Amino acid sequence: MQVSAVRYSDVLVVAVKGRIDYMNAEEFKAALLPHLVNCAAGRDQIVLDLSRLEYVSSAGLRVLMIAAKEVRPRKGRLVAVSLQPVVREIFEISRFTLVFDVFDSVQDALRALSPKAAAMTHTG
Amino acid sequence: MSVVARGWPGNAVSIRPQTAVEGTAWSAWLRRPRFLGAVLLVILAGVHHFADTPLQSWLRNAWFDAYQAMMPRSRVSAPAVIVAVDEKSLAQLGQWPWPRTLVARVFERLAEYRPLAVGVDVIFAEPDRLSPGAIAELHPQIGSALALQLKSLLSNDEVLAAAIKRLPVVLGVAGTYERAEGAVPRSAASFRLQGDPLPILRHFPSALASTETIDAAATSRGLLNADVRHGVVRRVPLLAAVANTPFPSLSLETLRVGVREAAFVIRTGAHGIESIEIGDARIRPDADGHIWVRFGPHDPARFVSAADVLAGTVDAERIAGKLVLFGGTGMGLVDLQATPLGDHIYGIEVHAQVLENIFDGNLLGRPRWARWAETALIVVLGALLVFAVPALSPARSSLILGAATGGLLLLGMALYRYTGVLFDAAAPVIDLNLVFGGLLRTTLAESARQRERLQRELQAEREAAARMAGELEAARRVQIGMLPVPALAFGDERRFDLHASMEPAREVGGDLYDFYMIGKSRLFFMVGDVSGKGMPASIFMALSKALYKSAALRSLPDLGRTMAEANVEITRENPELLFVTLVACMLDVETGELAYCNAGHEPPQQIGAGGGSVRQLKAAGPPLCTLENYPYAAAHARMARGESLILVSDGVAEAMNSAGELFGRARLDRLLAKMPAGLSAAEQVEAVNDEVRRFSAGAEMADDVTVLVVRWARA
Repeated sequence: MQVSAVRYSDVLVVAVKGRIDYMNAEEFKAALLPHLVNCAAGRDQIVLDLSRLEYVSSAGLRVLMIAAKEVRPRKGRLVAVSLQPVVREIFEISRFTLVFDVFDSVQDALRALSPKAAAMTHTG
Repeated sequence: MSVVARGWPGNAVSIRPQTAVEGTAWSAWLRRPRFLGAVLLVILAGVHHFADTPLQSWLRNAWFDAYQAMMPRSRVSAPAVIVAVDEKSLAQLGQWPWPRTLVARVFERLAEYRPLAVGVDVIFAEPDRLSPGAIAELHPQIGSALALQLKSLLSNDEVLAAAIKRLPVVLGVAGTYERAEGAVPRSAASFRLQGDPLPILRHFPSALASTETIDAAATSRGLLNADVRHGVVRRVPLLAAVANTPFPSLSLETLRVGVREAAFVIRTGAHGIESIEIGDARIRPDADGHIWVRFGPHDPARFVSAADVLAGTVDAERIAGKLVLFGGTGMGLVDLQATPLGDHIYGIEVHAQVLENIFDGNLLGRPRWARWAETALIVVLGALLVFAVPALSPARSSLILGAATGGLLLLGMALYRYTGVLFDAAAPVIDLNLVFGGLLRTTLAESARQRERLQRELQAEREAAARMAGELEAARRVQIGMLPVPALAFGDERRFDLHASMEPAREVGGDLYDFYMIGKSRLFFMVGDVSGKGMPASIFMALSKALYKSAALRSLPDLGRTMAEANVEITRENPELLFVTLVACMLDVETGELAYCNAGHEPPQQIGAGGGSVRQLKAAGPPLCTLENYPYAAAHARMARGESLILVSDGVAEAMNSAGELFGRARLDRLLAKMPAGLSAAEQVEAVNDEVRRFSAGAEMADDVTVLVVRWARA
């Protein structure tokens, strides 16, 4: 499990790689939450790039839920993009699609969140 | 787990008595390897430096003897030749003591060979009984004329004295502890003293010398006493004191007389005698005026026979310009001395070897710093061991000891070989081995004790863990005990068939199910799953089940409202930020009308009466506790008679085999699609469980596996 982040203007794209299950959920939580501290209305928006997330158990979903709860009072936006089929199925069955806005790609998410950031990815 | 166990009260109780067993602080200190090693080291270094027990000197002497045996001296120069009254002489000239006239003839012939000086290892203590005058007294019957005539002849002693006068002769004297009658003999040497050597020198109140007649003829006198310890000659005094006057040894005095020096210069410092000088030659003896003899083996080339001297058949060069030592080697006058080389040589050969040592400048010595160096090495290397042994493996510390031992032995041998310094390597080696032994013993004992303590702690931890596991086991039993048993709930129910099972994971999971009748005709049933594991999940599962039931009893038959109210209430009681997926259904067992409400759970699946056809009931909202105030709403479906509804937890799809593969939803769908017709609820539950068990094939269940089947109307 690896977590890395790239900034596009006011959008932080946080990529999650590997598997998240009961064994490493706490580790995932510790890696993810620091990226959220500036997530608030008018400040950072977060895009979770799950294109390389292979599997997420309910313990991992719980961390995503905690992340969502963390930013919700500040009206920050946290969205998920590029779900692999297995993860998409898990999201759909557990209806985490209702907890997170889910986009097909980082580009889609950027367009929805911040035209400024979307422009950045075009220019370079 | 270990953190929890460490804080477990049982642990502390099981460790505390052990400190009592360990005893007082003092004995605990003594068990510390480094402390014990340091104490031992200080004692041993102190003993080496300040004490000199017989055992120590025995060991030291044995060690120095070993040096000599390993590296015996080879003869370089031949300053001294021994004129020996040997077996040949006795055979040719008769038994000893010879008439002094015969001795005189030997000396007369010797004089012709022109030696530098003659040291005599014989004491002519009594007048010769073979003198003519003595014979007259021995035979009174010979008549006074003859007696007078005999008495008028020169005595044998006078004849010998006359012969002695022709040569520079040093007569041997023996220091004695009894005061003898008459004058105390003196050597002819004069002494120039720097410092006072007398307090240091070995003292003889008197000395046994030759008769006055012979003694008066001698050029000088030298002491014969050698220093024999434990039967082996190692050190000989070069200087002693007789009646409070310095007195040189026979060999030293013969040397002085031979080189025609009048005086010895003796320098004495605060720690004893520093040097003895004869002309240009300087000898550095030990502080007490003794020297250690560096022995070579017995060598016949040092000897010439007195008989050959008398016969004049000795090569002139063998004696001319040499120092001559005169003494006996024949049977009956044997004066054999054991040497460190392990052999026995004639006493007179010891004197010859001393002269060779002095001439070749390869005397041995044990300077004062030798003991300091030994003590310092004991302390330094010992300290190294004290630090290293408890920290290293026995094999590695043995290596250090071996290196130290080897280094000390080599140092000792090199000093002996190249400088003549007698360095006692044996003492440091023995002391280091003792320290090492002590350290190793205590270190091993200490680590054994540590291991034992760790084992005890581990045992205590295991017990605590087992107790903890017992608690979890109890929690698990409570959890399972909360789940209703279908046979007890609907024992004689004919309108539907319900069965449920939960296969618990190794750790406590958070699956739950529940069912009860609402009124007379509505069957409520649900399956849920709390995210997470262990005690928090277990407690939260129990809480969720209770809160859900209370919400249900308040708000049913509106399933949506129930779900929404349960969501608010469970969210309020959720400090761990867990979430719960849950699907609740309500079946009108008279009409087959089905309402369901799903909060992020696996969708219920409807199985046709004839088996096979499967329909998923897909409507759902998010899991409980994820979105507050989510407007859950019930969805509706119909059941036909004979149809079944199956609810599972995600433990089914996410069951894993030992290869790490997931059971998967597709496999579940295939299984349900092939479900034969006419199976009871219990048989269908068992069919799913069997398939999961077969798939995971002994791999430990990571999550609870819950299956609930409701079949409308009995078959």
